[in-house]
Amino acid sequence: MSSDNALLRLGGSTADAVRDVLEMFAPGQVNPGVVAVVPAGTHPLADIQLPAILADVSFVDGVSGGNVMVMSVAGARRLAAVMMGGTGDDLPPADDLDELEYSAIGEAMNQMMAAAAMATSAVLDEEVEIAPPQVRLVRTIEEALENADHNGQATTVNFSVGGAPCTLVQFVPNAFIVRMTRAFDEITAEYAGEVPLSDSLLGVSVRVWAELGRARMPTGQLINMPPGSLVELDREADAPIDLYADGMRIATGRLLVTADGGYSVRIEALVAGADTPSGAGGNTFNTNHPVEV
Amino acid sequence: MARVLVVDDAAFMRKMVTDALTGGGHEIVGEAGNGAEAVLRYQELRPDVMTLDITMPEKDGIAALQEIIALEPSAKVIMCSALGQESKVLESIKLGAKDFVVKPFQPDRVRAAVEKALAA
Repeated sequence: MSSDNALLRLGGSTADAVRDVLEMFAPGQVNPGVVAVVPAGTHPLADIQLPAILADVSFVDGVSGGNVMVMSVAGARRLAAVMMGGTGDDLPPADDLDELEYSAIGEAMNQMMAAAAMATSAVLDEEVEIAPPQVRLVRTIEEALENADHNGQATTVNFSVGGAPCTLVQFVPNAFIVRMTRAFDEITAEYAGEVPLSDSLLGVSVRVWAELGRARMPTGQLINMPPGSLVELDREADAPIDLYADGMRIATGRLLVTADGGYSVRIEALVAGADTPSGAGGNTFNTNHPVEV
Repeated sequence: MARVLVVDDAAFMRKMVTDALTGGGHEIVGEAGNGAEAVLRYQELRPDVMTLDITMPEKDGIAALQEIIALEPSAKVIMCSALGQESKVLESIKLGAKDFVVKPFQPDRVRAAVEKALAA
């Protein structure tokens, strides 16, 4: 796997984790964008609009590097208001966040990165812990770049939460990319043996499944659910569903019932960075059988 | 209705827990922002139930739980954990915590945990 693909996979799993946590705070109000690798020689914070709120979380133990969520002051206040059950529509103007708003943004970042660290831990097969979040107002580019040494590579993904735009920047040291690439290749080797992935991709059978929606609940609640319990999923009935291949989200589409009474998924869009070889539009996957990709 | 002490280093999380529990008819008798303060407030207030964050500065929730259980073995403590803290949650249950909630949580889940702890 190339380092760019490893970066996109890492960025994608982080974006999924962030989306899931934000959905808990602001149900139905989270719109994630596409993960992009920042071009070499470009600092991802160099062009941010100022003033801005920066929420930093570093990985500790196991992994170095970290994540920065960048928001406008108005956007951060709107997110904090949405997290507290409001709409953020009627906030009086302000140049900075108040104490409760700082706390809300810090807690959102903390929980998002805890979820992202779990996803990274699963790939590396080792525990990844995070440091406490630091949330600060920056008015100059010098302040923004403080403590943001960028010697490796980076990914960005834009989100909109309750109408508030924000950008997640993930700083990834080169040594970590090597470890991620190796870990992904080891996972792939279970299917491809010693043959390079690019040569054998088209002949590998992978497990493909469709996901209708998700729910999160404590294990204690889960194991105590009697028959007849309802588990509410996080997706509207008319929303597209997700298609996964061996744990990676590869596409979104619509669930169809076939003439013989089975289910199929009509692909509507492929997910960027999913390494899929063909274009979208009209492909149909039958979820009952392995699919050759 | 329970008298509840809410402990979390994040003011936002204290507000979330407070709003969830007062919405369920419970009374918040006090708040604390770290483990050391939590032990002092527990001794002072003797609440029916306490919600206790795990990761906090000065003294974490596990250390505070140990001291509170030593003071009052039947204390009804609900741990608040982040994702990925399963080993710490298990440790706290072994130490005597009555239940746990994982952040981010829905208000109903916090209320259910308090009601379960009260009934225990």
